[in-house]
Amino acid sequence: MSLVSDSPVNSSSSDDFAAFLDDALDSGDSSQSSPDDDEDNDKDKDNHNDLEAQLPNDLDTQRIKRRKVAEELENIEELQASTSHSSLEQTLEASKKKDECTHPGSFGEMCILCGQRLQAESGVTFGYIHKGLRLQNDEIVRLRNTDMKNLLRHKKLYLVLDLDHTLLNSTELRDMTSEEEYLKSQTDSPQDVSKGNLFMLTLMRMMTKLRPFARTFLKEASEMFEMYIYTMGDRAYALEMAELLDPQREYFSSRVISRDDGTQKHQKGLDIVLGQESAVLILDDTEHAWTKHKENLILMERYLFFASSCRQFGFNCKSLSELKSDESDTDGALATVLEVLKQIHKIFFDELKDNLVDRDVRQVLKTVKKEILKGCKIVFSRVFPTKYQAENHHLWKMAEQLGATCTTELDSSVTHVVSNDVGTEKSRWAVKHNKFLVLPRWIEAANYMWQKKPEENFSVKPNEELITPVCSNANS
Amino acid sequence: MFFHIVLERNMQLHPRHFGRNLRDNIVAKLMKDVEGTCSGRHGFVVAITGIENIGKGLIRDGTGFVSFPVKYQCVVFRPFKGEILEAVVTMVNKMGFFAEAGPVQIFVSNHLIPDDMEFQSGDMPNYTTSDGSVKIQKDSEVRLKIIGTRVDATEIFCIGTIKDDFLGVINDPAAA
Ligand SMILES: [Zn+2]
Repeated sequence: MSLVSDSPVNSSSSDDFAAFLDDALDSGDSSQSSPDDDEDNDKDKDNHNDLEAQLPNDLDTQRIKRRKVAEELENIEELQASTSHSSLEQTLEASKKKDECTHPGSFGEMCILCGQRLQAESGVTFGYIHKGLRLQNDEIVRLRNTDMKNLLRHKKLYLVLDLDHTLLNSTELRDMTSEEEYLKSQTDSPQDVSKGNLFMLTLMRMMTKLRPFARTFLKEASEMFEMYIYTMGDRAYALEMAELLDPQREYFSSRVISRDDGTQKHQKGLDIVLGQESAVLILDDTEHAWTKHKENLILMERYLFFASSCRQFGFNCKSLSELKSDESDTDGALATVLEVLKQIHKIFFDELKDNLVDRDVRQVLKTVKKEILKGCKIVFSRVFPTKYQAENHHLWKMAEQLGATCTTELDSSVTHVVSNDVGTEKSRWAVKHNKFLVLPRWIEAANYMWQKKPEENFSVKPNEELITPVCSNANS
Repeated sequence: MFFHIVLERNMQLHPRHFGRNLRDNIVAKLMKDVEGTCSGRHGFVVAITGIENIGKGLIRDGTGFVSFPVKYQCVVFRPFKGEILEAVVTMVNKMGFFAEAGPVQIFVSNHLIPDDMEFQSGDMPNYTTSDGSVKIQKDSEVRLKIIGTRVDATEIFCIGTIKDDFLGVINDPAAA
């Protein structure tokens, strides 16, 4: 059986009323919304005809109402007239502007500058700021320029933060292992989110663990940066996580971007971030999400707390949760990267000599990185597949970005040989000439920890390949 | 602008609502169905203020439902281009600010905020004059002029401006 629903009747009085208002006010907008009404009425036409005969046609009341409306409208028109008299010049200028309006953006499909209805949807959607808001590229550029000046005056830059595996780790409840069951009795109260770091999100059937140091990180970073959240999760998830990280809404305001807001699938872009690219830093554990903005990216070591996340990234070992362990609070990834951010911020504002607006945080990032392995001359031995173009290997590139020099020739200036095997010719050469012989992980560790790690912790042991690989979260 | 108008609607009623409370049931259902809804033509129905007339019911074939034509008085709210409205600011950002007047959502772009007001970021983003005397932030009450409207089935969107005489903040919560 089909459901019967009510439908408005095509009342002659209300039709007149609307038509009258439209004429009087010359507001083309109302007529554009009326097709909906007409459709409804058409559906009910048969019924409506039957009824009309029974309806009394109260012309008198109608007339009175019309008169009242007309009076009110006259008042408005008078008002408008008086304001325009007082500033004729302004009105002229305004009307001139209106003719030339470039429609810099839209809200509810109306131009934000002239109020005109815009037919074609164009520009970039900024749904994360407010439903129905879109901006044209020129307007975005204009906003970025003015905002940049404002921000630099406050000695701030932009920081875009990824959620999953960067600031926190979430798991679906159904994916939790029996060894993780104990966590369910240890979750923090949802009433006072600001103190906890392990949360049960019953409605989303999820559990979320904040990365150690996350709260201190956000607090201190917020003094140097205007911060955005940018996640590949959906909007509901993004907002829920923002609530956990920023219950007082002091860090992110409406700057929470989810995959629903992005302009390109499986890609994160700075196009919807209202900051100039030369002033944006990004923290993310996924490099390929930012193909267009690698120079802005500080790659984070993945935070894999739950067993399901370890499995997702191919680690067949006990997770931190199963081991009842966690990343270090005081010298974990977030504490480390905060120091790097402080350093970059200091160089950008205090040490660079050129004009503030001409400075580029991407250059600073590069410079800081190049200090880490400065002075090291590296030779790789059997790390790359044979016939592989060595300069194209990610470890080679990584070492160079860290300031090391890479070469294929052994000579006395070489400082490090990188290999998995003590038995190679180059490895033996290193031992013989008292050079460092280290594992490839030494370079990755420097990359994630932003400092040269002691070589003895990465020395190559005989039969290295026989030793069970240690569970490491490092990206490779 | 508010209007007090008479509208009509066909109310479909299930036979279980018949009996001595029929009239009350029709009115209750009418209020539930109509109040708080929008139509492009009339705007937002704020409240039903009276019933003018309930016509003869018509039995719908095959269902047992009966439809009654109801004429009712109601207060509707519909913004118009050129109208001056008072609204409460809901969000301030570098693009401008958003405000609400009942069901109406209004955006005032920073193009249409006086040039002497500058955006200040921070915990409580705001637009402030250089001498600091006038400030627009969340929860401020502003008087603005509507320059564009669009009425949806459930929402009303407006573009507003405060770049004109006698427009702007009328009550600043921070100063109070
Ligand atoms: Zn326009």
